[in-house]
Formats: sequence, structure tokens, C-alpha cells
Amino acid sequence: MTKGRAGEPLHVVTVCGVGMGSSLILRMTAEKAFAELGVPARVEATDVSSAKSLRPDVILGQGMHTSEFAGAAPVVLAVSNFVDAEALKRELEGPLREQGWLE
Amino acid sequence: MDFLRDVLAFLANNLFNEVAILIGLIALVGLMLQKKPVEDVVAGTLRAVIGIYILLIGTDVFIGGLVAFQTIVSSAFGLEPPAATSTMADFLGAHGGTIALVITVAFLVHVLAVRLFNTRYVYLTGHQIFWISVIVTAAYVQMFGVLDQWALVLVCGLVVAAYLTLQPLYIAPMMRKVIGSDDWGYGHTSSAACYIAGKVGPAVGDREQDDTEKLQLPRQLSFFKDVNVSTALVIGIITLVAMAFADSAVLAEQAATYDPDINPWVWGIVSALRFAAGIAVLLFGVRMFLAEIVPAFKGISEKLIPGARPALDVPTVFPFAPTAVMLGFLASTVVFLVLMGVFAAAGWFVLVPPMIMLFFPGGGAGVFGNAFGGWKGAIVGGAVNGLFLAIGQALTWNMLSDTAPELATLADPDWYILAWLIMGVSAIFTGGDPAAMVWAATGVLMVVAAVWLWVLKRKGFEKPLEVQAEPAPAEAEAGR
Repeated sequence: MTKGRAGEPLHVVTVCGVGMGSSLILRMTAEKAFAELGVPARVEATDVSSAKSLRPDVILGQGMHTSEFAGAAPVVLAVSNFVDAEALKRELEGPLREQGWLE
Repeated sequence: MDFLRDVLAFLANNLFNEVAILIGLIALVGLMLQKKPVEDVVAGTLRAVIGIYILLIGTDVFIGGLVAFQTIVSSAFGLEPPAATSTMADFLGAHGGTIALVITVAFLVHVLAVRLFNTRYVYLTGHQIFWISVIVTAAYVQMFGVLDQWALVLVCGLVVAAYLTLQPLYIAPMMRKVIGSDDWGYGHTSSAACYIAGKVGPAVGDREQDDTEKLQLPRQLSFFKDVNVSTALVIGIITLVAMAFADSAVLAEQAATYDPDINPWVWGIVSALRFAAGIAVLLFGVRMFLAEIVPAFKGISEKLIPGARPALDVPTVFPFAPTAVMLGFLASTVVFLVLMGVFAAAGWFVLVPPMIMLFFPGGGAGVFGNAFGGWKGAIVGGAVNGLFLAIGQALTWNMLSDTAPELATLADPDWYILAWLIMGVSAIFTGGDPAAMVWAATGVLMVVAAVWLWVLKRKGFEKPLEVQAEPAPAEAEAGR
């Protein structure tokens, strides 16, 4: 199944401890970043316990959590500023290209 | 006129008293304001409504586990378990509609206040807007009994709005030092513990010499970051230890109400796991309806106040000192567990360890403590949070015993302060007609808030703090 810019929207999961505060803010930032990159994405905010069972394409969260998600998704990215869509865009470009989700 | 009265009565009983329908309506309006496609509006509204029912179901399971825990530990110390005439489930059932309206009124008044007084920070931590609305409503209902619903919505809305406006503001100068920028503010009900940590920090340590991020903590501690795991584990261990000392007749009786054939020890483990599961379910429900409402709040505030900064949840400071988070959490937990033993041995109160509140506010206070006093500051910050949670729970359970005492076991430091403030001021005004007295008490609280706002503005919170060397987010080691 082709994903990213070529086809199906990516399944992106934003993670925080309980899945309702900072991950929700990060969801909105990520939605903006993916829209500006032109990569269709379905972004979902969730907690640490459930993120592992979702098998998403991309996991975003702070380093404290993402360090435990190695291998849980093709792209796992640690984010330190939850409101900076520009920085997130820059950080996403490389990994998304690697997966062929962005030309 | 009769017809109009019937319509109003119908609305009052079937709309404004039904929390799920109200939340659904709020979500519906919010999604339409964001001009979402029809299918998203329908799906989002339904998700919000289902979220409310999940919250109510989780509350029941959580309370069941809580009662079992309190009964077992109380029996081990030969005490009576904490008593109450009402539960949070009853309270949410009776006043849920009011709370949904308080959330809406409070947020709109808050946005207006930010615009009017130019206070920069818009509070976007949705679950705390929800919980603060719950505890403020509970405090008012506890003090004044049954009031006209709209009067209650207005007074609670004003108090919550004042809190949402002032909290990010008073801690802003510290927050800028913690994150090294003014990109967002701190919007979390742990602010009192964080503020004290920041003030005490320089007296106990020095950031330059004692930065927590130079320390290495054992990796095994990392599973505590999953609060579901730490809740089940800590509550489970305490339950098993307490069962060894508890009255077997009490245990057998309690276990039999769950299942007549179950072994009491197995029942103890089941109860601890149900306690953790109940909290997880409850929070899942809150998350589900917030996910539909908070983006609307964000959209409204961005439209009305260009240039406003969001005030965000506590984990947004965690990347700046992850080790301080763990130190703060551990210090909180140790202090709390010691006080749990002391309070019970003295026969005062049987505390329930609130792992989520020990982790998040404890971690936040740790980060603030570290920013101003290194690892020693982080430990002091965590300890302050542990003190808040232990003393707060012991005092506040009985203060809210006719409304929602379980809130005392779910609270952060600022919740306690708000409840104490409202109930303390209201105690002066208990003599006359409650309908008038509730406004007198709220008037006093509003004057206090106005004076505080004036002081903060005079001190010049909006002056950008000279940001020293950018504290690099300490997550180089994080897996990418």
C-alpha cells in the first residue's frame, strides 16, 4: 500500500503520559506540520500504554517516552517544543523522505 | 406563558442537566466553528458524548477500588475508613450539566479577560479546565447547598476564569527561565508546588554545579513513567501488605460483596487492579471528549487574541530536565508514603497514594526546582508536592464529604488551594440567604483576583526576561 504523498494518509500518533494534555497540543502542531509538508496524515493523541498497540507509521512525543518506542513504528521522533510547527516540519522531512513518504 | 415555562422546564431537565448531551452540543458548536466536514462533525460529537459515558463508568470502577483500598488499609491500622455521604459518581450525575456549562462560561470569560487585561497566556490544558470546574462547583455546592443552576454556573465560571487567567501569569517569569523562551506558558494545577520549588531552589543548591541532567538514574525506574503500571503496582503492594495486618472478618465481608466464592487475598489483588483500571478508563473518557473540544478552544482564542501564547500542560517542561522529573516524582512518593504511615499510625486519616499526581506535579516541581537549584532543588520541589498531596487529601476529603470527596484523592496542589480559598471565604458568609451570600463570597474572591492581577501587571510580567544561555532540551540520548 503506498502511503504519504503518494496515497493513503499516514497514521501518526502523538504520545504523552496520560494522552490528554500535551499530546493533544502536539496533535494540533503535527496536523499543521503535515499539512504544510503536503503529506496526508491522520493524527491521534494517546497515552504511553496504548501507543504501542496502535502500530502507527509515525510516533511523536518527548524523548522521555520516545526512547521506549524504538521499533514500534517506522518513524519515531523526539519533540521538545510542542507548539513549534516549523521546527517539527524540519525534523520530519528527513525521516519521511527515508520512508519514501515525501519526495 | 405556561407554554414558555414548560419549554424552559423541559430544557432545564433534559438539556442543562444532562452532561453528555451538553458536552455533545459544545463539541458540535466547536467543530462547526472550525468548519470541519460534516462527517467529522458527526463523528466528533458522538466521540465527545461517548467519552462522557466512559468517564462515568470509569468513575464507578475507580470508586469501587478506592473504597476497597481504604477499607483494607484502615482495618490494618484499626481505624474506620474515611466516611462520606455522597460520592463523585452521585455528584457528577447531579451536577454534571452545571460543570459542562461552567467549563464553557469559564473559558469564554478567560479569553475575554486575556484580551481585556492583555495578559498574554491562554489556558489550553483542557483536563485541568474540566477538573478545576468540578472541584470549584463541588466546593460551592458543599458550602451553599442547592442553588439556582445559572447562579451556580456564573459564580463557578468567574472563579475558574480568574484561576485560568492568573495561574500562567504569576508563574510566567519562572517558566521563561525553565524553558529558555516565551513560546508557551505553564498551564497546570501543580503551579503552587512548582513556584515554591523555584523559590526554595536557590537556597538549597546551584543549577550550574548540581544540574540533574549530569546524573544518571537506574533504567529500571523508567517503567514508572507509565502511570497505569505504577498505580497498579504501588496500590497492589500496599494492599497486600495491609491485608497481612487487617481484620480477616472485615476482609471476608468485603470480598464476599464482590464475589461470595473469592479468596480474600485474590480479591485484594483484583481490587488494586480495578482501582488502576478505573482511573485508566476515567481518564480515557476525559481524553475522548477533550480531543473534540480543546481544538475549538484553541481556534477561538487564536481568532480573538492574535499573538496570545498558549499555557500548556506540565509534560511540556519535562524535555528540559527528564532526570529532574524522576527525582521530583521519587521525592514526592517517598514523602507521601512516609506521611501515609504517620497519619495512619496517629489515627488521623488513611491516605490513598495518587500515583498520577505524584508523577506529574512531582515531576513538574522537580523541573522547576532543578532550574533554580539543581538536583537538590528538584528533590525539595518533589517533597513539597508530596506534602501538598498528603496534607491536602487528609483535609479536603472531609471538607467535600457531602459532594465529591474522591476529588481529594485525584487532586493537584492548586485544586486544594482553590477549594480551601472558596470554602474559607464562603464560611464567612453562611448566615443569610444562600442565594445572596454566594454572590458576596464570590465578590470577595473576585476582588482578591483583581488585586493580584494588578500587582502582577505592576511588576511587569510581560517584560521579556533576559534569557541566558538557551537550556538545550536534554534528550540527545532519546531514540530516534
